[in-house]
Amino acid sequence: MSAEKTIRAIGGEGGSGAVEKSAPSLNMLYFYLTEGCNLRCRHCWIEPPHQTAKRRHPAIDPDLFRHILKQARPLGLSSVKLTGGEPLMHPRIGEILGVLREEKLRFNVETNGVLCTQALARDLVGSGLYHVSVSLDGADAETHEWVRGVKGCFDAAVNGIRNLIAAGIRPQVIMSLMRRNVDQIEAVVRLAESIGTSSVKFNIVQPTARGVKMHEAGETLSIREIVRLGEWVENDLSAGTKLRLHYSHPAAFRPLGRMYGSEGSGCGICGIYGILGVLAGGAYALCGIGETVPELVFGRAERDSLLDVWKDNPILREIREGLSRRLGGICGECLMKGVCLGSCIAQNYYRSRSLWAPHWFCEEAHREGLFPEARLQGARRRVCRESQGPVPAALR
Amino acid sequence: MKQKNPIANPLIVLREEFDDWAILFDPDTGNAFGLNPTGVFIWKHLDGKHDTDAIVGRLREEADDVPADAAEHARQFIASLEQQGLVGYEVQT
Repeated sequence: MSAEKTIRAIGGEGGSGAVEKSAPSLNMLYFYLTEGCNLRCRHCWIEPPHQTAKRRHPAIDPDLFRHILKQARPLGLSSVKLTGGEPLMHPRIGEILGVLREEKLRFNVETNGVLCTQALARDLVGSGLYHVSVSLDGADAETHEWVRGVKGCFDAAVNGIRNLIAAGIRPQVIMSLMRRNVDQIEAVVRLAESIGTSSVKFNIVQPTARGVKMHEAGETLSIREIVRLGEWVENDLSAGTKLRLHYSHPAAFRPLGRMYGSEGSGCGICGIYGILGVLAGGAYALCGIGETVPELVFGRAERDSLLDVWKDNPILREIREGLSRRLGGICGECLMKGVCLGSCIAQNYYRSRSLWAPHWFCEEAHREGLFPEARLQGARRRVCRESQGPVPAALR
Repeated sequence: MKQKNPIANPLIVLREEFDDWAILFDPDTGNAFGLNPTGVFIWKHLDGKHDTDAIVGRLREEADDVPADAAEHARQFIASLEQQGLVGYEVQT
């Protein structure tokens, strides 16, 4: 029997209709360090231009990077994410890491691993890196490179992972699931085990940017397949590996014990209340979605005060005041909305141009009868067990 | 004024799931809370007939390895339920 008896609020702060009156702490900045990328992934939700030796694209200036961090510290900044594009492709990545060392800021990195040399891996770890995820979309070069669009990137990514491990950090492997690689899920887990990574995360290809084309071409998995795979990964595959496996379907599809139990992997709540994106060109945005949705860009770092943007931007204020109370459709009915927050508000907005639109995955699952009924408010008369007894005086 | 035993708010729905965890939710507000299996056991005994010690006693009969400080944890748990308006007490005046 578990000794744990604490109640865990699914409603959560701001999740039960509470209106936040002032700006919350800015916990984390997501830096999209480079506009370009060295790979050409066919599912990418940001769709960065391909960068080669001849064709270069903007990357954030280290002085601007420092200027933003200095402003963010008093707002509560405690960590930073470096992503892209491809963060390790930044032409002055050493200076960026130097700024993080100066500021004594912990950071995590999302990378394709290709450019992670031994020296860079040591520099990353020595600069405060606490988590790194590396994409591997197949257990062999043919599959991975079909997804990633560049020859030789599989071996380079695996080498990058090995270099990170040698430098003292065990990366998380991220695999984006699609029709082409779905048969390699277990093989990727075995590869990740053999290399010595810490965990494997399985992402669902979102219908955003290049992902739209994959969805339209039938190259993504059906909702039914995704739901079944999720059950298999969480219940069966997890039992056969010491690696932690994370399956990125919305919270309504995840057993509570997998989120909150002693072996759980957390609720996967989006940190939207405390996160702001910074694009390679110096724009503040909701996240990387600002690259493709201009109305989710909130200002420019070289011109605008971060405090003003964070505190007063009308879209950020609307999100703080409306989540999760104003979520519509299936998300509005879902008992998990307080932790899930619509799964990804950027994705929802991209598809509908509404901040309060339901998440596509849950909508489709509901339409096909695959949404867990027990997680819906409206299901109470059908499947709930009502507690019995008189109404306590204090509650009448 | 003397408080009696805790009673679960009957307007709150307990929805049990396949893995013995459960969701408590208030149909009027949509507020929801997750319970682990021990929390579910306690919730089901919040019937006004059991005090905390009696509930933990029942727990010891039904489960193995109940820790020595279970009663304190149970008290905290019930107090947190009360704070959320999920549990009340009949009051003798």
